Amino acid sequence: MKNINKSMKILTMFLLAAPLIMVSFGLASAKETATDNYKLYCVQCHGTKGTGKGINAPFLSVAPRNHTSAKDMGELSDDNVFKAIKSGGGAVGKSTQMPSWGAVMTDDEIHDMVKRLRVMCKCEGKK
Amino acid sequence: MKKTFFIYCLSLMVFIAVPSWAADGKALVKSNKCGSCHKMQGPAVKTIAEVLKRKAPDLFYAGSKFNKDWLVKYIQSPTVIRPGGVVYTNNIKLNGDQDEPANLLKCASKLSAGDAAAVGDYLMSLKDATMKVGVFKKAKIKKAMARRVMMKGEACNACHSFPKRGGGVSCPTFEGIGSRLNPDWMYSFVNHPQKWDPKVWMAKRDLDDATLQLIVNFLSSMK
Ligand code: HEC
Ligand code: HEC
Ligand code: HEC
Repeated sequence: MKNINKSMKILTMFLLAAPLIMVSFGLASAKETATDNYKLYCVQCHGTKGTGKGINAPFLSVAPRNHTSAKDMGELSDDNVFKAIKSGGGAVGKSTQMPSWGAVMTDDEIHDMVKRLRVMCKCEGKK
Repeated sequence: MKKTFFIYCLSLMVFIAVPSWAADGKALVKSNKCGSCHKMQGPAVKTIAEVLKRKAPDLFYAGSKFNKDWLVKYIQSPTVIRPGGVVYTNNIKLNGDQDEPANLLKCASKLSAGDAAAVGDYLMSLKDATMKVGVFKKAKIKKAMARRVMMKGEACNACHSFPKRGGGVSCPTFEGIGSRLNPDWMYSFVNHPQKWDPKVWMAKRDLDDATLQLIVNFLSSMK
């Protein structure tokens, strides 16, 4: 009887704690929107308007890509854009002043970012 | 006999109590409302929405991050460390089509020398138990090589401003960073910024120990 009581107690405690544990895990891995990721990570160089005029831009030796330019962005395939964001400018033969965000954003979030950039340039990726 | 012993005990109590009472840094942090801007208790926030509400840098691992001498001076008369503000993206004004930092929210701390010493003691006790200490090895380095790594390959100057040479404004300046920060903490942060601040807008790099030692030695020399 004593033992049953004890295991019941442990079970109830577990049942009470489970939602809490799930909530905290959920928060840790919550997916961010491309809008928020852009605002925090990209705007510093690419600018609030996405035209490449961020607060750091005057100090760079290579101009950040203008994400609103159909001409410039239309020359890049979606794969190229994905790779540039995930592994940095160096990985696509461009300037390393474009950092690699693979350890900051998940692949899923980077795919969302590529879609967002296509909305910004009103253009499609080179096939 | 009994009486003298009693007086002895009493004076001993006063002797012990007064200094620790006058030097209660934790109470001073509370009465000065440092926690109304700074997060004084971990863990760090994990979502962008929470980062966007940040008013001031986290202090709950201050004892791992700062050099004490710098800290005690700073909280008596703070200066600007982050030229773009604490969360740059909340602090942008447009000049034509070019973004520029708008207003700076400076640290409000204005402690007297005595209070600053007590608060410094308290803040230095807030250590992160998981940080490896004794990792940094002070060495004579080739500064030209460090500059090549930091201003070309890794482009740290895209975001951080170097003394005399300048650089980006979206995060802390390197001016005086050697006096400010504990080299072991710099090593840990540059190796894995997200360990300290999961959503920080500095990318994680894959740097080997030799490169990290080179970088941190160079940063430490920027007094
Ligand atoms: C530290 C400054 C900086 C930050 C932060 C930054 N970029 Fe860049 N980015 C650049 C620079 C500079 C270039 C231009 C590289 C070149 O042309 O050699 C660039 C180029 C690009 C390109 C074009 C790549 C190509 O192959 O031509 C894309 C796409 C891009 N950035 C997306 C992003 C996204 C998305 C983010 C945020 C997650 C971001 N960047 C954050 C500086 C930055
Ligand atoms: C009104 C908001 C506010 C209050 C109150 C405030 N601070 Fe600050 N503090 C800031 C801001 C903003 C910064 C960042 C300044 C910068 O980077 O230029 C800062 C920076 C600091 C730093 C340097 C942190 C770092 O990582 O570079 C320390 C240390 C500090 N404050 C200690 C204190 C102490 C101790 C108190 C209370 C006595 C206090 N602050 C009260 C806003 C505040
Ligand atoms: C894309 C922008 C960016 C780049 C590039 C960058 N950092 Fe950072 N760095 C940051 C941000 C953001 C912080 C944290 C800001 C804060 O604490 O308010 C930071 C913080 C630091 C700190 C702690 C500074 C402090 O004062 O608290 C060090 C040290 C540092 N970076 C070194 C480097 C080095 C070395 C490089 C190059 C290998 C580098 N950073 C490249 C954005 C960047």
